[in-house]
Amino acid sequence: MVQSAIIAYSPVNATTRALYSTLLTPEVRRALVQAPNFDVLITQLEKTAYGPYLKINRELLTPRRTVYQLRLHLTHVYEKLIRITPEPGQQLLIQLWRLYEVDNLKATLRGIETGASWDEVRHLLSPMFRYITLTTDDIQRMLATGSIMRAIERIRHTPYYDTLIHAVERYETEKNLFPLEVALDLDYRRGLWESIQSLKGMDHEQALRLVGTEIDADNLLWAIRYRIYHHLSVQEIVNYTLPFGYKVRDEDIRAIAEGMDIATIVKRIYPHIELEDTVTRAKEELSPERQLALIEHALNRHIRNLCRKTFIGNPFHIGIPLVYLMLLEYELQDLTAIVEANASQLPIDVLASIIDIE
Amino acid sequence: MVNMFKPQTMEKIELIIPEHQVVRATEALAASGVFHHTPSTQLAFRTPSRSINEWQAWTTDLVALERRILFVMEELKIDEGTPPSPLPHIIEPRVAELDIERLEHEAERPVHELEAAKRRLTQLQKYIGQLTPIANLDVDLGTLRNLHYTFIMLGSMPVTNIDRLESSLEHIPFVLITLHQEGHLATVMLFGLQRDGAVLNRAARSAYLNPLIPPEDYRGTPAQAIAALQAGIERTRQHIAEYEREIARLHEVRIRHLRYLLWRVRASHALANTIASYDRIQHAYLVTGWVPAVARSKLEREIAGVSEAVIIETLEPLQEDIGHIPASLENPPFFRGFQSLVTTYGQPNYDELDPTPIMALTFPLVFGLMFGDVGHGLLLLLAGLLLASRKVKALRSAASFGIVVALCGASAMLFGALYGSIFGFEDVFAAVWFRPLEEITDVLLFAVVVGALLISTGMIYNIVNAALGRRWGYLLFNHNGLAGLVFYWSLLGMAARAFDAPIPIPGDVLTILAVIGGIGLTFAEFFERLVEGRRPLFEENVGTYIALAIFELFETLISLFSNTLSYVRMGAFAVAHGALSLVVFIIAEAISTPGNVGYWIIVILGNLFVIGFEGLIVGIQTLRLEYYELFSKFFSGGGTPYRPLSLIPKAGKLNASENTGG
Repeated sequence: MVQSAIIAYSPVNATTRALYSTLLTPEVRRALVQAPNFDVLITQLEKTAYGPYLKINRELLTPRRTVYQLRLHLTHVYEKLIRITPEPGQQLLIQLWRLYEVDNLKATLRGIETGASWDEVRHLLSPMFRYITLTTDDIQRMLATGSIMRAIERIRHTPYYDTLIHAVERYETEKNLFPLEVALDLDYRRGLWESIQSLKGMDHEQALRLVGTEIDADNLLWAIRYRIYHHLSVQEIVNYTLPFGYKVRDEDIRAIAEGMDIATIVKRIYPHIELEDTVTRAKEELSPERQLALIEHALNRHIRNLCRKTFIGNPFHIGIPLVYLMLLEYELQDLTAIVEANASQLPIDVLASIIDIE
Repeated sequence: MVNMFKPQTMEKIELIIPEHQVVRATEALAASGVFHHTPSTQLAFRTPSRSINEWQAWTTDLVALERRILFVMEELKIDEGTPPSPLPHIIEPRVAELDIERLEHEAERPVHELEAAKRRLTQLQKYIGQLTPIANLDVDLGTLRNLHYTFIMLGSMPVTNIDRLESSLEHIPFVLITLHQEGHLATVMLFGLQRDGAVLNRAARSAYLNPLIPPEDYRGTPAQAIAALQAGIERTRQHIAEYEREIARLHEVRIRHLRYLLWRVRASHALANTIASYDRIQHAYLVTGWVPAVARSKLEREIAGVSEAVIIETLEPLQEDIGHIPASLENPPFFRGFQSLVTTYGQPNYDELDPTPIMALTFPLVFGLMFGDVGHGLLLLLAGLLLASRKVKALRSAASFGIVVALCGASAMLFGALYGSIFGFEDVFAAVWFRPLEEITDVLLFAVVVGALLISTGMIYNIVNAALGRRWGYLLFNHNGLAGLVFYWSLLGMAARAFDAPIPIPGDVLTILAVIGGIGLTFAEFFERLVEGRRPLFEENVGTYIALAIFELFETLISLFSNTLSYVRMGAFAVAHGALSLVVFIIAEAISTPGNVGYWIIVILGNLFVIGFEGLIVGIQTLRLEYYELFSKFFSGGGTPYRPLSLIPKAGKLNASENTGG
C-alpha cells in the first residue's frame, strides 16, 4: 500500500516541490507591496514565475487584465497537477478546480443581470482550458441571451443546470441573484465533500484536514456574514450553510445564527490558533464588519500555517499537491490585492496590513 | 519539372496604395490568390495612425457581429454553409449591425415563445407529477391556502435540502412529508401552525422549497386540477408545434441571407484585420510581401483592374529576409499527400530542395518492400482510391492521403509478385524473385543495399542544397557533404570487396578515397572556415581541436554504420509479414479443417488483422525511416510556408481562437 502510494505520488511530489520553490519569497512580496507605481510593479512581477504570462503588449495590461494574466499561472499549474495526480486524488483536484468554474458562472450571471457584453466580462473570468464542463462558448451563449432564465437553458448539458433551474424560480420572484449564487455554492461544496469522503487512508486524512478546514472557514464566515450583513433568520442561516465540516459543527452554526458571541464560538472551535488578541480586541473596539474581516484574516493565516506543516513527514499523499495549490491560491489573492491597491494608490501600510507578507 | 524539386522563385514587392483605394486594392490582392503579405521591416512606418486604429476597431466590432449572426443562425437551425463565390465586398460594422438587429428581432419572438412554451410544458408536467400522489384527496386545493389555524405548503425541493430544512426548524412544531421523489427533487408537504407561518415560509424558501401554485385554470380538487393540466399540456404542445413551424419558415426564408451576411462579415473582418497590419505613410498605405515570379503579372492585372494609382515596386531581398522568404511548393495534386507528410516534419526553406518528390518515390518503395503481398496490396490500393475519390464523406479531410495509401498498395502488390505471396498464400504462384521466409539472408542484404542507396540519395540532396545556398565549405567537407559521401561509398566498396562482390574499383583506390574522405571529415570545420574565409580557423587550441576532430570522425563512422543497419528492419518486416500470414494459417488449421467455413472465416479475419495491424506498424516504420534516416541527411525544415492573402477564414476560426476569457 505504502509502496504503491510512493510510486503513484513520486512524480506529483517531485513536480510539486519544484513548483513550490517558485512561490514568491517574503523579499519579493515586500518589494511588490512597495512598488511605487504600476510599471515598476509589472517589471518586478516579470521576474517571477508569473513573468511569462505578462509578456503581452504593456498597453493592454490594465489592472484587471494583469490579474487575469496572473491567473493563467494558476490555471497551468492546476491543469498540470491534475494531469499527473493519480486517481482518486485526481478527482478531488478536479473538484477543487471547479470552484473557478462556479465563480465564472456566477460572474456570468452577474454580467447578464447588468447587461454586460462578452468583452466586459471575459477578463473577469478565470482562464480555464481543461477539466471543465462550462466552456467559453457556453458563457458567450449565456451572455448573448440577455436573460437569466434563457441563459440557464443554454447550459442544460452541464452539472449546474439542475441546481440553477430549481433555484431560478426564486430569482424570478425576488429578482435577486442571491438564491442562485447560494445554491451554486452549497452544491459545489457538497460535491467537494463527497470527493473527500471517497478518498481512503492518508489521502482522506490529509484532504479532510486541509480542504475540510477550508470548507469550515467558508461555512463559518457565511454564517457570520448572513447574520451581520443580511440579517437572516436562524432558519435561513441554517439552510444557507453546510451540515458537515472538519471541526465546525452544526451547533456552532446554529449558535452564530442564534446571536451568540462570535468571538467565543470561534475561540471554542480553534482554541490553538492565534485568534485571541484579534477577537478580544475586535470584541471590545471594532465594528462587527471589521471583526469579520479580522476573523477571516486569522482563519486564512491558520490555513496557511496548516499548509506549511504538511511538508513535514511522509510526502506521498494528496496533501502535497493540495497544499501547494492552496498556497498558490492565497498568493494569487494577495497579488490581486497588490495590483488593485497599486492601481488605486492605496497607502502601502494599509495594503501591508491586508496581505500576508511572510 | 524543376519546380517539383525546388520552391518557386519569389519576388519581394512593395505596394503603395492611396488611402481611399485601400479596400478595393486589398480585395484585389486577395482575389489574385498569389500575394503573401509580410509586415514591413522599416520600423519608422509602424506607428499606429488614426486610420489603423479605426481598422482595428472594425475588427473588434466585426467579431462581435459574427457571433450575433451565429446565434441567430443557431436559433433558426441554419448551418454556416460554404463561402459564396465571388466573395462579397466589405460591409461596415454599423450597416451590418442594422441588418443583424432586424434579423434578431424577427427571430426573437418565435424563438422566445417556443422556449417559453417548452418551459410551460415542463412546468405543467411537473405540476401533474406533484399532484399525482394526492390525486385521491377530495379537497379543493384553494382551501389549503386559506386555513385559519394550520399552515400547509405543497411543493418541490432538492432532496439534499430535506434534512437541513428539518434541522433548521428544530424549535418550531412542524411535520414534513415526502410525497414523491424523482431524481434530485422531492415533492413534499409541510404542515405547521398558522401562527408560525412567517418563520415556516422563510425556512421553506431558504431550503429552496418551491411552493406549488398552479395557475387559476388548474384549481379545484387534485383530480380536477390534473385533468385541467393535461388539457393545458395538449394546448401547449399545439403552441410548440406552431412556433416550430414559424421557425422552420424563417429558416427557409432567411437561410441564404444569413449565410451570405455571415461570410460577408467574416470577409470584412479578415480585410479589416489585414489593413490594420499595413504600414502608413501620410495618405497612403505601404504593403510589402512576396509573390511567385511567374504570378507577378497576374497580380499586376488584378491591381490594375481596380486602380491605376497603386504603385508596385520590386525590392531586393534584405539580409534579414534570408530564412523568411516563403517557400511555395509546386507539386502536382498527385503528390499532395506526400507534401503533407513532409510539412508535418518541417516546412522546406526557400533555398533548399523540396523533399516531396523523393519521398513520393521512396515511401511506397520502402512500404512495399516490407509489406509485399499481392492481395493485401490490392485491398490497400482499392482503399486508397476510395479515399482519394472523396466518396466517403467522413473521410474527405483525409482524401489527399488516398494517393499515398494507393501507391503503397501498388508497391506492396509489386513486391508481392516478386515474393510470390497473395493473401498469405505462398503456393498459388511462383515467386518472380524469392520468398523472404525462405531466403532470409538475401532479403536482409537487399534491405541494406536499398538503405545505402537511400542514405546516398540523402547526401546527394544535401550537396545540392549546399550548392543552391552557395555554402561551398559545407558542400565539400560536411559529414553529409562530398567528403562524407566519398568516405561512405569507399567504405561500402571495401565492405563489398570483403564479401567478394564484383566491385570494378581496385581496393587500393578505395582505401585512398576513404583516407581522403576521412581527412576531409576530420578537419571539416577547419576546411570549411578556410574555404568560406571565416576566421579564426580554430576556435580552441589546435591540440583540443585535433582530439575532438578524431572523436567526431569516429562518431560519423558509427553513425553511418548504424544508419545503414537501420534499414535491415525493412528486410525483417518483409520476413515478419510472411511469418504473420503463416501464423494465420496455423491458427485456422488448428481451429478448423482446411476448406471448412470456420477455416475461411479465420483466414479472412487473420488477413484483415494483418492488413490493419501490420499495415499500421509498417506505415509507422516507413515514416520513421523517411524522417530520421533520410530527411536528417539534408532537410532542416523551419522555413516559412507560402500563405497567399485570403479573405476567407476557416469556419469558426474567430471563435476557436478564444478560450475561457482568453
